[in-house]
Amino acid sequence: MSTADSGRSRPSIDRRTLLATGAAGLATMALPRRARAQGRVEISFASASFFGNETFGDLVNSFNESQDRVLVRWLELPPPSSSTEVYQGLVQQLARRNGTPDVFSQDVIWIAGFAAAGWALPLDEFISDTTGYFDGTLAACKWDGKLTALPWFMDTGMLYYRQDLLDKAGAQVPQTWAEMAALGKAAQDAGDAEFGYLWQGKQAEVLVCDAVEAIASNNGAILADDGRSSRIAEPEAVAAIQFLHDSIGSISPRDVLSWDEEPSRQPFTAGRGMFLRNWSYVWPIAQDPNVSEVVGKIGAGPLPHFDGGRSASCLGGYQLGMNANTKNRDAAWEFMSWVSAPEQQKRVALNFGLGPSRPALFDDAELNEKQPFMATLRPVFTGATARPVTPEYAKVTLALQSGISKALVSGNIEAEMATLSQELDRIVG
Amino acid sequence: MAVPRRAWPWLLLLPTGIALGAVAFWPIVEGLRLSLTNTSLITQSADYVGLENYAGLWSDTRFWNAWWHTIWFTFASTLLETLIGLGMALVLYERFPLRGIVRAAMLVPWAMPTVVTSKMFGWLFDGQNGVVNWVLLNLGLIGEKVNWYGDPDTAMTTIIIADVWKTAPFMALLLLTGLQTIPTSLTEAARMDGARGWTVFWHIRLPLLMPTLLISGLFRALDAFRVFDLVYVLTGGGPADSTETLSTLAYKELFSTLEFGYGSTITTAMFLTEAALAAILCLWLVRQIRRVT
Repeated sequence: MSTADSGRSRPSIDRRTLLATGAAGLATMALPRRARAQGRVEISFASASFFGNETFGDLVNSFNESQDRVLVRWLELPPPSSSTEVYQGLVQQLARRNGTPDVFSQDVIWIAGFAAAGWALPLDEFISDTTGYFDGTLAACKWDGKLTALPWFMDTGMLYYRQDLLDKAGAQVPQTWAEMAALGKAAQDAGDAEFGYLWQGKQAEVLVCDAVEAIASNNGAILADDGRSSRIAEPEAVAAIQFLHDSIGSISPRDVLSWDEEPSRQPFTAGRGMFLRNWSYVWPIAQDPNVSEVVGKIGAGPLPHFDGGRSASCLGGYQLGMNANTKNRDAAWEFMSWVSAPEQQKRVALNFGLGPSRPALFDDAELNEKQPFMATLRPVFTGATARPVTPEYAKVTLALQSGISKALVSGNIEAEMATLSQELDRIVG
Repeated sequence: MAVPRRAWPWLLLLPTGIALGAVAFWPIVEGLRLSLTNTSLITQSADYVGLENYAGLWSDTRFWNAWWHTIWFTFASTLLETLIGLGMALVLYERFPLRGIVRAAMLVPWAMPTVVTSKMFGWLFDGQNGVVNWVLLNLGLIGEKVNWYGDPDTAMTTIIIADVWKTAPFMALLLLTGLQTIPTSLTEAARMDGARGWTVFWHIRLPLLMPTLLISGLFRALDAFRVFDLVYVLTGGGPADSTETLSTLAYKELFSTLEFGYGSTITTAMFLTEAALAAILCLWLVRQIRRVT
């Protein structure tokens, strides 16, 4: 019996020892983490994953190390190129209304929708002074008069031009669309450039951006200020779309109708175009001798405007939001204001190449030295114009893409804009 | 423990029934249920609205526009793929050197992921640098570069060409197996009686191949009806909605605007159209097969 007992107990002792050792091991491993989290408020931060010399995870780690009150966990969403998936991911989490994620970053076009759904907390109680940010960005961060997002980083549409061809023509950088069209036409006729002006007319989100820029630079708008009625059938908007239409076949190839960003960038960096409307990502490509024929020959600046209007550039970029259902508002705000502070915006500009939403940073010596192109963006960002601010943006943009594409293809601008305007009124009214 | 003998077959069928019900039947019923609600992730509504969505669909020009495009795409691509596939099958049926390699190589387009095919055709038919424009220009068939994907007159045709290139080999494979089931004694006998190639094809091979031909055509049509990847990658539905199909429209409604209610109405309408298409083709098929056998 004793032998049977010991026979039974031996493995049980072994198992117990093993378990004890294992538990001790796990405890040791878990200890530092637990000690660190002791007494700290844990919150989560969901964001699309941008890549650069570091990740947003590194940014979050720096915050966690910088203080001992709040511990942020980074919830990684897909990259910004899969923006539909990022949107779905955020909507699914926010719709649960359980406070996760406490803080999130959102594309400017989602801000109104998240605010109207009651998912994003108005931030006015935390911040009274917003003078440090670009006005256009702040405008895009507001819904119903309240600030529901904190500006983070931005990108806008801009005009790329061939400085060498301008010099050859003895001309300045064009200020109006008419000047640009004349210069582009002349360069085409002289054989200096195959295409005067390259832009994006594909039935896609980018078409809405190109249209917003043209319309706003003619003192027009897609929606009224309150976001509840359409202004796209007004003469200013019609004239702007007419200009885009008339450029096709004269200074722009018919191909713009199927081009989004990359197909329009390629002829420009191949030295075949005089002017290009695109985002800031084009600059480093255009300066890379391996892929570009125009190294050192180009400049970038604000887009042209119509007579009596002023330059407008379509605003893009991700801004910070606080979950209305968060249980840790103060901790969430502490993280948000830290990540949007000048030092962190500078770090994001240096390491990710994403444009700061604070104008003062464009005077920063280190930033100007390491990212000289970014310094030139200040006047462009100053003209940043939001796409229609409405909680129904997803429907509005699909209607715009379809309606503007029809107008550009058929040439019946007035009729197509009238139809589109009715459709928009139905959606936002 | 006493399971009646008669219950055993049903009991054994149960797991399959549950599995099929969960993956095939339930999604359809759920889609039908959603289509009768105004479910939206944005407004957080999920109320029963009866046939309101269907009434909206009936007067939705975007829907009918996409519906006609989808029908046209299905008809044109299936017809071309069946004819070209038949031609390929007849050639591959004959004996010639390296036939095995050619048969295998023929399947490469079909084995390629559609997204890769789409990107490839995007470049082939590129308005500026595309090889198609280059060839046609050099042959003098076109006066200037054609913007294939940017013109409503050519965009859908170009997508159909891409689909035919990709799927004709698959049709050829199906038809080849059909050809191989035709007894050689019949064709030999016909030749003994002096029948030429054309007569043999028209009076012996084609009638006997008809069942295979129709079934393959049916499969292909039902598959073509769901076209998504080519449109999504190449044109996104543009220009001017000229390549919008039901799948891309449903995708936009479901996943861009997150309107699950109305989006499900579109997919249900798609399901009904496809069911009607299948029913018509099946009836016709059964009649044809009865006639030849």
